[in-house]
Amino acid sequence: MLIIILVAIGIGISLLAAKPKTSKRLTLIFSAILVMVAILALWMPRSLAVNGPYFELNPLRDWFLLILGIVSTAATWFRFGYLQHDEQATSFWLPLFLVSMLGVISANDVWLFMTAWELMSITSFFLVIVHHDRPGVLNAGYIYLVMSQLSAMLILSGLLLMATSLHSTSFAVFAASAHMLAPGIKDFVFALLGLGFAIKSGIVPFHIWLPRAHPIAPAPVSGLMSGAMIKLGVFGVTQFLLMDLGKTSVIWPFLLLVFGAVSSLLGVLYALMEHDLKRLLAFHSIENIGIIFLGLGVMGLGIDWHRPLLEAMGMIAALFHTMNHAIFKSQLFLVAGAVEQHTGTLDADRLGGLIRTIPGITIGFLAGSMAISALPPFNGFVSEWITFRGLLNVVSGSLGWWTVFGLVLVLVLAMTGALAGMCFVKASGVIFLGEPREPVSHTRLPRSMTWPIMMMALLCLVLGIDPYLAIRAITSIQPGLILNESPQLVPVHAMQTGFLLLLLIIVVGWLSRFWKVRKVPRWSCGRVPDATMQFTSASFTKSVRTTLAVIYRPHRNLDRIGTYANYFPERLLYKGGTSPIWERYLYQPGYRLVWRLSQYSTKLQAGPVRLYLLYLLGTIGILLLLLH
Amino acid sequence: MELWGVQIIGVLLAILLSPFYVGIAQTVKARMQGRRGPSLWLGYYVLKKLWGKETTAPEYSSWIFQVAPTVSLSALTVIALFIPWGGRVPASWPHDALTVFFLLALERFWVGLAGLDAAGTFGGLGASRIATLGSGIEPAMFAVFGLLWYLTGGTVITPIMPQWWAHPLHMLPWGLAVLGYALVAIAELGRLPADNPDTHLELTMMHEATILEYNGRLLAQSQAAVAIKFTSIIALGWVWLGPNLASPWLNLLLRLIELTLSSMFLGVIESLVVKLRYFRLSTYLGIAMGMGMLAVYLVAFQGGK
Repeated sequence: MLIIILVAIGIGISLLAAKPKTSKRLTLIFSAILVMVAILALWMPRSLAVNGPYFELNPLRDWFLLILGIVSTAATWFRFGYLQHDEQATSFWLPLFLVSMLGVISANDVWLFMTAWELMSITSFFLVIVHHDRPGVLNAGYIYLVMSQLSAMLILSGLLLMATSLHSTSFAVFAASAHMLAPGIKDFVFALLGLGFAIKSGIVPFHIWLPRAHPIAPAPVSGLMSGAMIKLGVFGVTQFLLMDLGKTSVIWPFLLLVFGAVSSLLGVLYALMEHDLKRLLAFHSIENIGIIFLGLGVMGLGIDWHRPLLEAMGMIAALFHTMNHAIFKSQLFLVAGAVEQHTGTLDADRLGGLIRTIPGITIGFLAGSMAISALPPFNGFVSEWITFRGLLNVVSGSLGWWTVFGLVLVLVLAMTGALAGMCFVKASGVIFLGEPREPVSHTRLPRSMTWPIMMMALLCLVLGIDPYLAIRAITSIQPGLILNESPQLVPVHAMQTGFLLLLLIIVVGWLSRFWKVRKVPRWSCGRVPDATMQFTSASFTKSVRTTLAVIYRPHRNLDRIGTYANYFPERLLYKGGTSPIWERYLYQPGYRLVWRLSQYSTKLQAGPVRLYLLYLLGTIGILLLLLH
Repeated sequence: MELWGVQIIGVLLAILLSPFYVGIAQTVKARMQGRRGPSLWLGYYVLKKLWGKETTAPEYSSWIFQVAPTVSLSALTVIALFIPWGGRVPASWPHDALTVFFLLALERFWVGLAGLDAAGTFGGLGASRIATLGSGIEPAMFAVFGLLWYLTGGTVITPIMPQWWAHPLHMLPWGLAVLGYALVAIAELGRLPADNPDTHLELTMMHEATILEYNGRLLAQSQAAVAIKFTSIIALGWVWLGPNLASPWLNLLLRLIELTLSSMFLGVIESLVVKLRYFRLSTYLGIAMGMGMLAVYLVAFQGGK
């Protein structure tokens, strides 16, 4: 009943789109109610019981509801000051988008789930193409639509296969008896659903929609999509594949781990090469989804091997990182929106020194950068620590090839973490620090843009210092697991580390009187210093590009322009870039194959009506022959 | 109570004696090259001198530049706190290797930010190189510690020497881990052949480039951070790979002797090898990573724990 009322309220808000101001306020209140419901359901489960035939809330769903609520609160709050989008269209689609995600999380039946899922795809498509008059937007939007339909069809077939095998479409039945399915059917279900949810979450190589859709969407929408929507793929994998199906063939967790590792490494490698802040953040979403899938894979291994400790660690790692990524990624996307509104561009190589014009937003970006780079005392540190711990348990608890495999995963994750740190040094250093590279406008930003970012930064810090707030809630998802022992289960010592660090910084900083400095010109070897002597986003990552040229295949082109161009060029035009590995090895050959096949089909489908009549006649003849 | 005492004294000694140990490496290096070399106490004198000087900052820098040395120094002090100086620590005291790596990443992050904040060429150059090197050091560090993960099943810094003693077959993996750790530690400490701490030539410098714009109290903090890193990273290796005695006090004494020996060894190495080309460092770290992985595989396929 509660969910139905919430859905009705949401639809009602979307009908008020003609009055953007009222609509914004109501959407914010709606999001706050979602947070409230989730908190009540998680920490005071007796006060709130939602379980009916159509909608049900259980601890896992509460957790994702909380994620949705927090992200949407920040995103809708941010909209008060954000002027870079078509307000009416967004005000209409945004509440519907929230309602559909609420539906996906709480649906208790295949039909409702799929309806909500499709509604979510379509509303998000319309939100992405809000600026459909700009060049390239519709094209990217279509790629997104095609990929999400593909994922929806795979999920539908997977769910229907489960439903026919269990003779029920109710998720309650799934939860109760899906683990008794025949192994063959389980394999099929895992393949279909796994692929469908992987496409939706943006796992490499099915992620191609993600770096296209995020940069063109308005910032609050990007934040919601990256923070909440792609997490519903994680929700699907956790609910249907890991918790409902139970024990499966060990190949499936293995595949989760492989795809997770590939996504995390390739995601961060391509993020490093991006100059556009939003595209950079989109690639980092791919990386973080990869890390979450590593956690899910560990959980799957724990289920298959009957090792509850491993299962618990994997689940805590995956779900905690899901929450953390939702917080800091939406925070960073909001910062990107603020930077765009402030300067009118997102190209890192044109920016610089924004810390002097928007100091508050810069602090928000720095906090988010440290959280996403897994640095103490922020929350990303804790969840990545637990992911490492889970993988290391795979290393130490097994023999032979599994140890080898586990150690390789650990190394991939370590490299991912270090590269993510490098990428965010680059992003914050080039965009917010130093001297401005080009004169850009500096529009004043309203307070309502800084507050939601600060709120998220504070959440990052709180969860980084006391992670057991969240971990306790996660352990209630599977009551069969070890309860109340979370500090022993994941001895992360985040609180000691955080407090010691902050204390030392305050004491040492106070002793050193760091604020007492005299400003002098910088060292430039005797030349007149200017902004072009600074490192840019391209030059900062040059050595990685050279070292890993095998993956990047960098190409560069230097054009000399002028009368005596070879000796005295008047102007130099430099173009450089990298080519994505998945397009080279997967999409381009696939495209060529389809193209070649289509050439064969033109011979059959030449166009003249006579030919088609002949086909018809022939078909009828064959059918008559067969039926005779 | 005894463990607490050892840990507190150990941390204090590690911090207070760190410039002295850096000085030993410099003196040995000078002697190897036929020079007399500076006094062993030069580090303290430099710190005192810098602390008394006026501090300046480049015109386009912000508070990030001014806070970064404090954050580095704090992160490294926390690392020093988390290292079991006596071989063991009180049960409630964190001594987790993963946290140490994340804290090293924190230091690298802030050094890089400060480099870019100075708005000059050198800062960006140093930041870029340090970050690239770091993305090789971190997986290599995890690989070398693989033996610890595998043998103890946890991430806590524990001596594994007794396990090696029980299985003589583990001697080869242990040797590989020691070599691998030495290679990674040299890179992490920014010593030859990975980085030259004494250079001021833009072709070769890394850490020096990021602190080029610093002076006064801010530079003093950076120098102190480098010195604390020196003792902590070396001691970290000795704690889990080296011998440990029954009494924590004797262990602490052993650490001090080991630190002296390691510093002298570094001084000798630095006189014998030249700096590697920057793009060869990936191979160098790859070798360290390979050694660590090989050590784990040898133990894993033997099936011995």
